Amino acid sequence: MRARRESKLLVEPAAVATGDIAFNLIVFFLVCASTQPDSGRKQELPNSEKTKTVQKDLKNIELSLSRTNTVVSLNGDPIKTSELPVRLKRVLDEKKSPEERIVVVKSKGDVPYEHWINVTSMVQDVGGSITIQREEEQTVIVQ
Amino acid sequence: MKIPRRTLKADVPAVAMGDIAFNLLIFFVILARAQDDSHVKWQPASAAKLERTSNSKVSVAISNENKLYLNGQELGQAQLANRVSELLGDSPSGERTVLFKVHKDATAMYYEPVIESISEAGGELLHVLNQDTSVAK
Repeated sequence: MRARRESKLLVEPAAVATGDIAFNLIVFFLVCASTQPDSGRKQELPNSEKTKTVQKDLKNIELSLSRTNTVVSLNGDPIKTSELPVRLKRVLDEKKSPEERIVVVKSKGDVPYEHWINVTSMVQDVGGSITIQREEEQTVIVQ
Repeated sequence: MKIPRRTLKADVPAVAMGDIAFNLLIFFVILARAQDDSHVKWQPASAAKLERTSNSKVSVAISNENKLYLNGQELGQAQLANRVSELLGDSPSGERTVLFKVHKDATAMYYEPVIESISEAGGELLHVLNQDTSVAK
């Protein structure tokens, strides 16, 4: 009896489809990358013109920050950062209008962002609105 | 006797369609990356009570080397307010969000003038941060 010849055909996937596969893979990864949202915190800063007017008429709450992240200065009194929400809330409760609830944040040039955002978040959480007061640059001519 | 003209059917090979699409896509991906700031090296600060950000036209970043980037392109602080203002155009409130990405150790002398410029340009600041998991809810 004659044995049946075994067929040894090389079966390859269609090369035509490679482009389409690559296309679909890229679309998939592109969609994955674009749908990854960031999370963050909104911060409203009053207009500088408005703040200037307020500063003329009212005495704003002042918050001074230095490089040390454990201590802040509220209206000139040094307090622990952890105590800030309670102390600030007490001060803000006495203020009625939104203009009075503006907290002027003064930071030294070396204050890290992490400390700054931590403190300003506390201010927002207790109902204060933030405005930044930067150190004024002055040129002093020494004769 | 009239000899009929032989007509040849010429088709664009459909095999190439996938490749054309692939190359087009790569082209647009590269274009899109030019406005992307994923190459900026920075580490976000942590904070609690964060919200999801919506799409924003403008992203301002301060890298770990204190360099300033607007939509992934490095620029000087003096140009920032005008450029942000141009990008925001006449967009109504709610669509003027500016994503602000600051390296956690950047100091006030770098980020405060930037905040001021964004505010001056009428941008609505949104600090991009990491969720602080240590804070108990």
